[in-house]
Amino acid sequence: MNDPINVGLGERVISADPADVLVAYGLGSCLGISMYDPVRRLCGMIHAVLPQRMNGAEPDSARFVDSGIEGLIHEMERRGADPRRSIFRMAGGANMLLASGVSHTFDIGNRNVEAALRTFQRLGIVLKAKDVGGNLGRTVRLYVADGRMTVRILNGKEQEL
Amino acid sequence: MLDSTHFDEDLLKTLHAVAGAGIHNAARGFSSLLGHQIQVLNPVVRVVPILEIPRYVGGPESEAIGIYLRAEGDIAGQIMLIIPFHKGLELVDLLMDVPAGTTTQLGSLERSALGEVGNLTGTFFLNAVANLTGTSVRPTPPAVIVDMVGAILDVIIATTGGVTESVILMQAEFIDGERSVETNFWVIPDPTTLKTFRNGVSAES
Repeated sequence: MNDPINVGLGERVISADPADVLVAYGLGSCLGISMYDPVRRLCGMIHAVLPQRMNGAEPDSARFVDSGIEGLIHEMERRGADPRRSIFRMAGGANMLLASGVSHTFDIGNRNVEAALRTFQRLGIVLKAKDVGGNLGRTVRLYVADGRMTVRILNGKEQEL
Repeated sequence: MLDSTHFDEDLLKTLHAVAGAGIHNAARGFSSLLGHQIQVLNPVVRVVPILEIPRYVGGPESEAIGIYLRAEGDIAGQIMLIIPFHKGLELVDLLMDVPAGTTTQLGSLERSALGEVGNLTGTFFLNAVANLTGTSVRPTPPAVIVDMVGAILDVIIATTGGVTESVILMQAEFIDGERSVETNFWVIPDPTTLKTFRNGVSAES
């Protein structure tokens, strides 16, 4: 097993090396969105920060949920994946200030989740699994060897999604 | 769009002065809360790209306590204090005046004590800023978050990630006799607030 590959804020990582594990650490309101093509055994993940692409950003920027999903699919296709047989999953989108008085000011987590669902629907893609919302941070791992995705919360165990 | 190029040398100089005064004032607030003198060592101010924040706080998955406030008024922005979890427990021991190692978990009492730390340090810090810039500013009640560093930072990244490219990091060590607590203050001024600081510079020079 190789060292885990960090999928940092606003990044997209794609791998076909079965010894790789892609990890997005400590997702709060951010979303970790993954795509796995079981035939090509190709895995990709993005760590999206905000729901919608802003003017001037790269058209496939992984910083934004909508452009990030499209960018992930395009890059995976370019490397031989087929989105129609691929497995899509996502986790994150928490509201970290849920219990506090300032939470109503912004609920980026929820908006990120909505943006993802809208984008998937527009592209005719069905999500296989999701673990979103709440008020806890999550670490998400994607194992290239078998396309397994796991979610872990603070002091919790890794759970398969 | 605000980016690192907007933090020119003059602005940084002002921010150093404002932050230095703010941190020392925060230590005074802290001292009054504890009932004895707290010292501040080596306050450092730097401008950090927003996407690099997790590298400064022990990695995105490590457990930490975040105390979050918004500043409202003439000056608007966000303040986040981040303390590694075990250091936060030591801070509670210090606040409750019990031997180090007594506190092992955070219940509602411990959380509200930490919230009070945020409240006091935030208020004293903002008062110093307001005095230096001749503006009026007040903090919102603090929110205390215990989670992975990355998830805590998402609060500020999500609210600024599209607009602000850089944030101000202030690091200081609060010393109470033999004990010390390192803190990271992340101050994220709204763009208009940076203008106030800039005007502060021109008014002084």
